[in-house]
Amino acid sequence: MNDVILSGRGLVKHYPIKGGVFRTTVGQVHAVDGVDLDLRAGETLGVVGESGCGKSTLGRLLMCLETPTAGSLIFDGEDVLKKGATELRHLRRNVQIVFQDPYTSLNPRKTVGDIVAEPFEIHPEVVPKKGIRTRVQELLELVGMPPEAMNRYPHQFSGGQRQRIGVARGIALNPKVLICDEPVSALDVSVQAQVVNLLEKLQRELGLAYVFIAHDLAVVRHISDRVAVMYLGKIVESGDEEQIYEHPTHPYTQALLSAVPVPDPTLRGRREQIVLTGDVPSPANPPAGCRFHTRCWMAQEICSTKEPELISRDDQMGGHVSACHFAAVRAPEAPAQA
Amino acid sequence: MADMYDEGLAMVEATGRGTIDLEQSAARLLKPPSRREMAKRPSIHGTVVLDDHHTWTPTDGRLLTVDDLHVEFRMREGVAKAINGVSFHLDQRETLAILGESGSGKSVTAQAIMGILDTPPGYVGQGRVEYCGVDLLTLAEKSRQHVRGDQIAMIFQDALSSLNPVFPVGWQIAEMFRVHRGMNRSDSMARAVELMERVHIPAAKQRVKSYPHQFSGGMRQRIMIAMAIALDPAVLIADEPTTALDVTVQAQIMDLLKDLQAESGMGLILITHDLGVVADVADRIAVMYAGRLVETAPVGPLYATPHHPYTLGLLESVPRLDSKLGDVLPAIGGLPPNLLAMPAGCPFHPRCRYARAECGQGAAPELVVTEPGRAVACPWWDRLEANHE
Repeated sequence: MNDVILSGRGLVKHYPIKGGVFRTTVGQVHAVDGVDLDLRAGETLGVVGESGCGKSTLGRLLMCLETPTAGSLIFDGEDVLKKGATELRHLRRNVQIVFQDPYTSLNPRKTVGDIVAEPFEIHPEVVPKKGIRTRVQELLELVGMPPEAMNRYPHQFSGGQRQRIGVARGIALNPKVLICDEPVSALDVSVQAQVVNLLEKLQRELGLAYVFIAHDLAVVRHISDRVAVMYLGKIVESGDEEQIYEHPTHPYTQALLSAVPVPDPTLRGRREQIVLTGDVPSPANPPAGCRFHTRCWMAQEICSTKEPELISRDDQMGGHVSACHFAAVRAPEAPAQA
Repeated sequence: MADMYDEGLAMVEATGRGTIDLEQSAARLLKPPSRREMAKRPSIHGTVVLDDHHTWTPTDGRLLTVDDLHVEFRMREGVAKAINGVSFHLDQRETLAILGESGSGKSVTAQAIMGILDTPPGYVGQGRVEYCGVDLLTLAEKSRQHVRGDQIAMIFQDALSSLNPVFPVGWQIAEMFRVHRGMNRSDSMARAVELMERVHIPAAKQRVKSYPHQFSGGMRQRIMIAMAIALDPAVLIADEPTTALDVTVQAQIMDLLKDLQAESGMGLILITHDLGVVADVADRIAVMYAGRLVETAPVGPLYATPHHPYTLGLLESVPRLDSKLGDVLPAIGGLPPNLLAMPAGCPFHPRCRYARAECGQGAAPELVVTEPGRAVACPWWDRLEANHE
């Protein structure tokens, strides 16, 4: 596949835990623990998982905001981590990020115009200095903001408008990839739909590829072509949108999907819900074997000893991989368990 | 493209339509109302003192009646009318969901009922909050304290900032018994352990002395719930109880609330913006927009045939888990109105796709009963249905 533009192989990020009198390293938080993924040009890859599963860290690794502990990051056929600063610049120019919180990710002391123009200071080759102002106006118009917004400050805008400003900054350098880290989680329902539509419009017009990180499974389904489900620093299942949402094979995906409330009161009491007991184990000390076995209702001997591989266990499921020894599409009524 | 641009201009546009008197708002900006003018505005101060052993008995199962409640925030920039005449009621064993976006006044409504509004700047301008036949707003602070926690309890959204970080959780739960029931330390701690078991916190006995930061988000929310139900309140107000939680934990917490309600028969007011959660648990729904109720209805009919354009827009704009990819989400354009400068007429009309010229004039439409148990604040609701189908 030659249209893959960004791929990670065996990405690992461990954070040291310091303790004791001499602040020595006493442990490691396994935030991301061996993730392989491929992003193709113009597609949207959704990454879902509970908080603390490492999805945001993965997003930051993909644009080298965090240096991976191990693994390689290939952009345009080059391993970015092995090369020098030039390759890194090239990566950063082409991979941009939109953050979750539009209140803290915009500098309150800069005008909107300055915020959107900031990427051009670091990458002056993109737009000549004289053209910056026009380009910023274009960008603001593209994200549906009035050009007068240039001279105003972030606090003068609502959450949805600020997120538009964040998107404008993200696309300023004409990147090929935009990493969206929970871009709509902080927004109200009606405004959320506006921003989702904006992202889809920009993708159609500019041919962007998105890594869409979110915990809202419905929004991810709406926007994604392919979806990866993460649990405790690992991808447990990935496939295209239909495979994941209609035929999930990993018990965690099944539980996650069944837990999402559906806005339809006629389904009340008729939907089978798998309510997982307990909380996500600490990533500082992940369980041996399958990481999900402590909460899994299907767990058996083998699950606590042998770690399942992320492979396709059924020949018919092209590209649909699942890290479970007993991966199978289940009828929703099978695991009736409280 | 053009309509995206319009959305951004919505605020400017609202003024351009002549819905806000430009001169008036300019004058307001130049000369903010003085402190004395602010103090002259009417507000309710309670003085009635109840007997300490007052017994609260609901008549005909009606626990709470809120009638024409007005709350405003008096600030230097002007008076923000956060709630403008909200009326609803709550029966025993019933779950009423108040649905709205941020800034719609749903949390302020809860604070006014509880009597925990920040005063100043927040004042209850007028209205009644009747609990078992007594208007809570007329009660003196001391008497309200007896109602708060004992009769009406509340769960907040952010459990970490709502719990005191320097006291063990058991101590904080036990405080309810010490303050309201005059229990001693050891008895109240024993009750705290019981409560923690009741909200399914594993190893409650060992964890009673742990501090809030030692618990996960879901467990912290359980502790909040334990505190709220400690004194067996008749009304529980849950203000976005699951918004900060993951879906798997959210399901656990909603199940817990459902079970507790079934056990004790309390009335539950669920404040949320999540249409999915509401569909699963609510009996009745009240939709709020810009400090007003725009629609009240039983849950089934509301989802099947929304009468208010705002409700319809909300329902349409939520992506569905069981729906297909590719369609453009029908978003509601524009932004919620500025509470300092509310548009004339219907507060929703600048964003309403069915708006007519008449909608931007006169007073905001009142809630009108359309069928038994349903009311809507839109005079054109029957046309909406025709448009919808």
